[in-house]
Formats: sequence, C-alpha cells, structure tokens
Amino acid sequence: MNTTHSTSGTGDHAVAATRISATRISATRISATRISDTQWHAVEDDRVVGRGDASRRPDGRLFISVDAWHDAVFDRIADAMLTDLPTPLYTVVDETDHDSRSAWERAGFAAARREWGYLVPTDPQATGLGSLRPPSGVTIVPAGEAEEGPLRALDRVIRDEVEAAAGWRTMPAEVLPRPAGTTVIDPSKYAVARHFDQYVGLVRVAPLTRQPRIGLIAVRADSHRRGIARALLAHALGSLHRSGTASAWAEVSESNAAATALFESVGARRAAGTLELVRR
Amino acid sequence: MTKTAKGIETEGTVIECLRNATFKVELKNGHTVLAHISGKIRKNYIKILPYDRVLVELSPYDLTRGRIVYRYRA
Repeated sequence: MNTTHSTSGTGDHAVAATRISATRISATRISATRISDTQWHAVEDDRVVGRGDASRRPDGRLFISVDAWHDAVFDRIADAMLTDLPTPLYTVVDETDHDSRSAWERAGFAAARREWGYLVPTDPQATGLGSLRPPSGVTIVPAGEAEEGPLRALDRVIRDEVEAAAGWRTMPAEVLPRPAGTTVIDPSKYAVARHFDQYVGLVRVAPLTRQPRIGLIAVRADSHRRGIARALLAHALGSLHRSGTASAWAEVSESNAAATALFESVGARRAAGTLELVRR
Repeated sequence: MTKTAKGIETEGTVIECLRNATFKVELKNGHTVLAHISGKIRKNYIKILPYDRVLVELSPYDLTRGRIVYRYRA
C-alpha cells in the first residue's frame, strides 16, 4: 500500500494519492497476449480489457490499432505489439483526439503526415462550376461509359507517375483489398477525360447512399495545368447534384498543394483531419 | 469464465457527431452514450455519420461511455 496519502496532509491530497496508488496496483495485474497473427488482447482479473489489431495495407505497410479504456492497458498492449512486430509500424488517429495521439507518442510513434477530410458541395451555385466547360479538345466520358482497356492503361500510367514522384504513400490511403495487381476494381465508377482519342484523366466516385466519396481524381503528368482535373470534378459534382446529393466527401493529403487548392476553390470545407503516425 | 469474452455490446443510432472525435449515440434502450470509434474502424477509413446504425461496446468502468466497433450497412 502506498503510504504517501497518510503523510500528505489534507483530505483531497489523500484521496488523490490513493487513486494513483490504485491505478498502479491495477496496472501490474494486466497482461497482454498475442492471440493470433494479427490480434492481441489484455486481460485483467480474467476479463478482456483491451485489444490490439494489426493489418497490412495493399501498399505493404503494417498498420496497428489499440482499443483500451485506460492508459495502462493501452501501454501494455502497445508494448506487446511492438515487441512482436517489425518496424516500421503505422497507425492513424483523429486530428482532434489528443489522448490517442499522446498514447501513441508514449509508444514511440511520431506524426508523419496529415490528411484533411473535405466536405464538398455539389450545388453549382456553391462550387462556381456551373458554367465550366472542359478545355479545348477534351471531352468527359461519364461513369459507366469509359472503355475498360484504355481506362486500366491510364490508371497504370498515372500510378507509375505518382510512384516515381511523390509516391503513393503520400496519398490518402486506399485500404480496400484488391485482387493481385488490380487497381481498377469497378470500371463503372470512373469518369474519364478524353483528349481527342487518348484518355488523360480520371475521377472515381464511390456512390455511397449516405455520402458519396471522391476516391481518386488524377491527370497524366503531360496534361497537368490545363484545367482537366477541374473539369472532371465539375462533371462528378454536377452528376451528384442532379441525382439529389448535396455533398460529397474527399480526403486530401496536406502536402498535396494542387489537390488542396482544387477542392478549396470549389467551396470544399475541411471537416476532419487524420494524422498518420509512424514508429521507425 | 472466459478470457475472450467481449464487453457489453449493444446497438444504437448515431445522433450527433461531436468535434472531438466522439459521437453521441442513442442506444436501443433509449439511453444516450458518448462513443469514440474503434481503432479498426479508423484504420479502415469507415466513416460514421448521423443516423448510422452502429454496434457500441460500453465501457465497463462508465456505462455512459462507449466505443463504436461496427457500422451496419445502410
């Protein structure tokens, strides 16, 4: 028994000391165990009081998460996972969740990058895109009408260009599992920009009924700075507006100045932020 | 007694998204709890919005607190 409280004087101090002591005793009874390749749990008095989980993203990075009601449990699970798993390890926390961020920083993680979540209006009066026309020679092929072969070829070219420049790791996460080597899972979700007979840009919208998500908008490097991405976004938002959808969601990496400028220029509002933390 | 037993889980509906990464959830029994989302949900970029039906694990230490561990399909 911690005796600090017996010498600390007044009642309030004594209560505080007793609480700290109780927390320490409790922490010593917590054990964390790996229960499968990807799962850990913490047990206190034969009761599960926390869980850890690890999963690999399509880009090969290993992301972990911990759910615990108390810091002591979090720390115990994190210790066990860090012992069992190779670095680098990644995790994500909400920008405003300071408790979670502190917990991961105690475990040696540091912020690596930030993504903004944007709420994007679709009403042309809000976006200012109502009268926008595609650049000369460019037409927009609506979702579901793009030819699959050229679409996949364009997607591959763009992915290679991004990988050679900023790298996909700096892009908002694509966490869906994919069949080996396939990056275009459902071609019907893509609208493309065609310059004469060549596809030069694409936009993918996940038509979620609750709130559609703009999952990807990209243009070939040799067609940048011509307004093609803006035309694609105008097309996608216009389609959503005509179907009665008031807003869409998009995640943009803080470091992607072009994408940030594009979304903010159409009235998109930052509604959330996600921090990616890494332990190397 | 089992060490793999889950905590208290119950269904609810998200009624408000609060600013500090928490949500106000009305449970089936009419009680309201403050819940944050589980690490797995955050890791998988599953977005929680008002009116979403969710599964909440209640804190064994404070039954007014919870963690959203699953979002049902709309």
